[in-house]
Amino acid sequence: MALTAEKVAQPFNSSTEPNHAPVETEFPVPYLGRTVKIVGPHVNVDMNQSPHPKNSRGELGKPLFNWYRNTVSQDPLTRVSAPNHFADRRNFLVNVINRSSNGKVNPRTVTVDDPAAMARHIKTVALYMGADVVGIAKVHPSFLYAAGGGRYVQDGTAKDEYQSNSPEELVRRFPYIIQAATAWDYNKLQAHRHHIGDAAYHVSQMKGVMVLKALEGYIKELGYTALRGVVTPQAAGVAGGIGELGRNGLVINKNFGARVHMPDPILTDLPLVADEPVDIGVEDFCKICRKCANTCPTNSIPFGDKVVFNGIEKYKINWLTCYKLRPYVHEHWGSCLTCAAVCPFTKPNVWWHNLATWALHTCPYAARPALVHALKWIDDKFWGVTRTNRVRWLGYDSGIKPGDQACTVAGCTASHEGKASSVSGDMGYYAPLKENTNRFVKRDG
Amino acid sequence: MASQLGPLKFPWFGKESHKNDPYWDFFINMPPADLANTVTEMIRKAPDGNVFPTRAELHTPEITSSHVKGMAEYFGAELVGIAKLPSNASQAETYPFGIICVVHADYDPRTALGIGGQVPVQNGLFITFVLSAWIRELGFRAGTAPEPDADKLAAAAGLGTLNGEGRLVTAKFGANVHIADVIRTDLPLAADG
Repeated sequence: MALTAEKVAQPFNSSTEPNHAPVETEFPVPYLGRTVKIVGPHVNVDMNQSPHPKNSRGELGKPLFNWYRNTVSQDPLTRVSAPNHFADRRNFLVNVINRSSNGKVNPRTVTVDDPAAMARHIKTVALYMGADVVGIAKVHPSFLYAAGGGRYVQDGTAKDEYQSNSPEELVRRFPYIIQAATAWDYNKLQAHRHHIGDAAYHVSQMKGVMVLKALEGYIKELGYTALRGVVTPQAAGVAGGIGELGRNGLVINKNFGARVHMPDPILTDLPLVADEPVDIGVEDFCKICRKCANTCPTNSIPFGDKVVFNGIEKYKINWLTCYKLRPYVHEHWGSCLTCAAVCPFTKPNVWWHNLATWALHTCPYAARPALVHALKWIDDKFWGVTRTNRVRWLGYDSGIKPGDQACTVAGCTASHEGKASSVSGDMGYYAPLKENTNRFVKRDG
Repeated sequence: MASQLGPLKFPWFGKESHKNDPYWDFFINMPPADLANTVTEMIRKAPDGNVFPTRAELHTPEITSSHVKGMAEYFGAELVGIAKLPSNASQAETYPFGIICVVHADYDPRTALGIGGQVPVQNGLFITFVLSAWIRELGFRAGTAPEPDADKLAAAAGLGTLNGEGRLVTAKFGANVHIADVIRTDLPLAADG
């Protein structure tokens, strides 16, 4: 495979030096599965340079700044479930949870004689609280945000006494990452680029934030430290066996595909046993499929090979073009989700889907391309190249063109003045974004 | 679209499956040393947000009720009922309707005081917080509070019957249920029962 050195990693300040030889000796380069490799010097990500913080400082231009900071959604459900588009932040649960004061670590520590039993317990606890997938990763300095970059929990704070510690110091003290993920509702995701798809995405986010906060509190009650806002979720997800990194930049899980929400993971000193990265065939599938790249409205997903970016070999999406679409569509939806919805791995968590991922997992590498071609043909045939289903849910109807008014609720006798009486057909309305963006966004490859 | 056959579920895999977990009893029964470590405390302490100034256009009360129930079920409620609340002249604010959400509880939250034993309460608070916030964003008043007569209201809403101890017994879960805080609202609804 041809690799392109897209970026030569440079340290941006003295506290975030690349992993030199002595560090590599103490912290061997971890195996992250077949989809991601650490191949060179890596500079820890500075959260202040990530999309949302940059945007909140106004560095991405006025339209994006106003969309992020000054836009109240027209949809009531979006106002209570989506970050930053609420009318009153007190109605937004994630804000309430993330801004709550942190509890103290219980001085009466529960002794852990068998880390494997504790690992099983903590996974059971997370699932009992509502998580859909749980993974435990052995931490490596490259998984952490840069020291001095600031802890990051969206809509909240993660300040604690370890704030100034370097990634290496944190790794020496806190060896494990717990990642609990929640899955989006599959049926609602079919109406992505609509408030119905937003509901699938945002409600799972709220649930995931609540589960992780409850898990953080429980670890403190066990007498151990739980740090938030420290770990890159994607790295934790891949290292902890939640899934593999796809071409679309999303962690793809064997049961849920790309429809998993992985909020801020927990870094802890609780004695555990780490999981291993998994192989479910994402590496082989993404080489051939390219469905996400073909359907991305902003051409933000590469068609070409992996690149080496900041010492990591992976598919590199263009987050800025993905981000820049948002102010222009916010009246109709909050989250695009096209790349997640069309991914062939994104299916209901049922036996026939799990059989397909099992077949990929057990298939010899040499035979996988043929199997991938067959599975992709089936996916195109039965689910289509794009999602066009019409979804109705609680008065929402994806068949109504954004901006049009219509009541399609069966049996409704309320007078809706100025609304069309009915909308026919089984097709959802999907704005022809691809055709429009092709005029001014240059594709690569 | 291909049929979505769900996974097989075996009802006898319940709390007994945790018998080999040495920490399970701590999780279920040990009261937290610091309440600030619990999500239940965080949500209970949170003040209600404002009512959105513009009221959303509603369908008929029956359809609005079905949407409220569908939304609650999407947030995780196992059973949802709507009861007509008695008008109480002594209270400054009266609400015509109460929304009762019920979640499954493996352990009774009144006796299982650990973080695990309180998971049904946590799930109930998640549902009632988001649902009441959504109703306020629709432009109607909605507030939650623990209700001493929640079992009676749930029975009145047709969610089950009361046993000798005055506790709700449902057809699906028996008495293994937790009734979440009742949402009081002036959203035009149609009462059950």
